[in-house]
Parts: sequence; C-alpha cells; structure tokens
Amino acid sequence: MRRPVMESAVDGRSRRGLLVGGLVGAAAVVGAISGLGRPAGAQAPSPEQDERILNFLLGLEYLQAAVYAEAGSQGAVSGELAEFAKVCGEHERSHVERLRELLGDAAQDEPEFDLEEAVSDDDVFAETAIALEDTGVSAYIGQGANLTVEAVAAVAPLVSVEARHAAWILAIAGRHPAPLAADPAASAAGVASALERAGLGLPGS
Amino acid sequence: MADAHSLPTLAQIDADGVLEEALDAAVGSTRSQFLRSVALGSAALIAGLSETAAAAPSPKQDTAILNYALAFEYLQAGFYTEAETLGTIRAMEVERERWARTLGAHERAHVKILKGVLRRRAAPKPFFNYRGVTEDPAAFTRTAVAMEDLTVALLGGQAPRVSDRALRSAFFSLLTVEARHAAWARRIVGVEPVASAFDPPKTLAEVNQVIRSTRFLVSRPRAQGRRAPRFTG
Repeated sequence: MRRPVMESAVDGRSRRGLLVGGLVGAAAVVGAISGLGRPAGAQAPSPEQDERILNFLLGLEYLQAAVYAEAGSQGAVSGELAEFAKVCGEHERSHVERLRELLGDAAQDEPEFDLEEAVSDDDVFAETAIALEDTGVSAYIGQGANLTVEAVAAVAPLVSVEARHAAWILAIAGRHPAPLAADPAASAAGVASALERAGLGLPGS
Repeated sequence: MADAHSLPTLAQIDADGVLEEALDAAVGSTRSQFLRSVALGSAALIAGLSETAAAAPSPKQDTAILNYALAFEYLQAGFYTEAETLGTIRAMEVERERWARTLGAHERAHVKILKGVLRRRAAPKPFFNYRGVTEDPAAFTRTAVAMEDLTVALLGGQAPRVSDRALRSAFFSLLTVEARHAAWARRIVGVEPVASAFDPPKTLAEVNQVIRSTRFLVSRPRAQGRRAPRFTG
C-alpha cells in the first residue's frame, strides 16, 4: 500500500515516483510567479501585477483540474472520492475558464502534466487533493492584498469555493474540515514549497 | 412604505433554496410573509449600511464595513453560544456536535479579531432574539448552514470594497473559514457540499434584507423571563 503523499518525504521510493509528475506541474505554476512578493508585499497593486498574479492562480487551477481529470480517467479512486473528483474537476475547469477570460491574450497556456502517481489510489489521491485545496485557499488569501480591487472582486467568488472543496476532502479523509478560525495566507514561494511537500513540487529545493 | 418588488427576491440570492428552507423553519412563515420587509433595526447594521451605500473605498468606509461584519459575527456567535447554553448542541450526534462547537468557537474568535482591528471604533454588540431556533437541532442546523452561506456572500461582496490591502487578505481568510463551515455542514446533512463553481457575492442591501426577514435582530434585549427554553414552560 502506498503512503499518503503528505508523508512521502520520509519514503524515498514513493516520493521519487510522485516527483516525476510533480516536477512538470509545479514548474508550470512557479514559472508564472517570479517577481511576486509576500502576501502584503511592497509592490502596490497594478493591472500589470494583476496579470502575473492571475496567471499564477491560473497555473494552480490548471494543476487542480488536471489532478481531478487524471483521477477520473484512471478510475483509481472510489466512492465519495470519485464524486469529489468529478464535482471539483468541473469547478476547477470553470475557474480556469473564468481566469482565462480575465486574462485574455495574456493567459498562459495549459501546461502538460504527468500526474499518474499523484492519484494512484484513494489514500494518495485524498492527500494530494487536501494539499491542492488547502494550498489554493492560502494562495488566494495571500494574493488578496496584492491584487487591485477589480481583481479581488473577480476572484472572490472562486476563493470560497476552494475552501468548500478543502473542507469536503478533509471531511472525507476523516480530518478536521475547519481547523483554524482564520485560514493562513501563503506567498507565492510558500505555495511552491507547499506543493513540493505534497509531492507536487520541485526536487532538491 | 417598503416595496417588495424593488428588493432582490429570495430566489435570486438563494439559488439552492437552503436559506429559504432555514428561514421558513426559523420563523414559520410562508414565502410571501417572509418577503415582507420587517423593519426591526439594529443601530450598528443599519448605520453601517447607510454609510457604505455606494462610496469608493476609503478608511472611513473600511470602518463601516468592519463594523457591519462585526455585527454579523456577533449574530452568529450569539446563535451558537445560545444553542450551547440551552443544551441543543450537546444533544446532537457526535459529528454534528463537533461541527457546531467548532463554529461557535470560530465565530467568537472572529468577533475578537474584528474588535481587535476596530478597537475603540468598534460598534456595540446588537441585541438578538433567535426566536426558538436555537432550541431545535434540525432548525438550528438548517439556519446555521444558511447563515454560513450568507456570511460567505457578505464577505465576498465586501472584500473588494475595502481600501486597506491587508484587510482584503484578512477578509479572504475569514471568508474561507465560513465557506468551510458551510461545506462541512452540508456534507453532514447529506446535501451537496459544494453546490456551484462560484459563490455569488451579495450587496449589503441584500444581506440586510435577509437579516431583517429573520427578525433575529431586535432593538432591545428580551425580558429576562423569556430567556427560559420553551420546552420547560
């Protein structure tokens, strides 16, 4: 039986397998974020900064959509997890479309992902999904201070849906769906390292 | 005179009907009675509304929005605390009890957080009458889900109206917790945990309309004698 992704740092064999897929995914996400500051960074919001941030968030949504599509196509997950992957997959694709509309010609293309190992069975998929959704929540919170008010208005309807996804998958996994009174913010760099810890990140960093 | 036709309909702001069901349970009203505007004002909420109607983001508006959010968190915290005090939550099955206690703790924490931000600008706590909903586990749960969803719509709508950048992130970090509460509850009661890819925001006018319709907000405290749970009398 595979170890859950979040614990795979202590298991070289499964970790290496996951990184094959994770390398491509995280590189695509991180590629969009160079230059993004801390959650309340020094850079004042601007349309140019919105473009970089929205592309970073688009990268995350691409990754989420790809993970759920992979889970569906492999048929490796069962029961409520399969239902979760189906429903959330549809939502993440809608989020991708919304962000692409906002970005217009500036939208990055969908990267190619190889995520077979990230969804190989129920336990691995659940831990991957928890990391993806909790990280997504923190990414949006972190960028709330860096976006213009127009962009905040545009992404607000997505932010809470990510949190609903997170609570759902945590509940399925028997974990606390709402462990904190206020969810933490993550910087772009924090997002990258959270993905790495989940086996979706860059190796050796 | 209130004109119900000029106000958003419940269907427009309650796509999957959870709120209507909860409020029907809460106030025992039909839809048409429910949509009648009941003008029971809380000073904090109504003052916050009039001050923030349409202005561009400003520090003064930030204070009004924070006070509105504070009043709403008081409403939620009071609701959960009363249900705990009455023993309603203790009587629930274990997962629901854990959920309800978590919500109470979180909403009380949100009150503290917002008071901490506002400090001496914080408006006083409004008065509430939950009209028996806190005594019945089923009505309590439905109303709690509706209130959590309403808070998501409130905070999502207000985050872009805040001038302070850090506060925009802070609103998001409260918003996501309310969304977790709602999804958790929906799963417990067997409803789709995440009904849609997008949570549409509500304006303050829309939120106010819903709150007034619950009649939870009152202009003065209840007489002490009415605090006793109904089932004892």
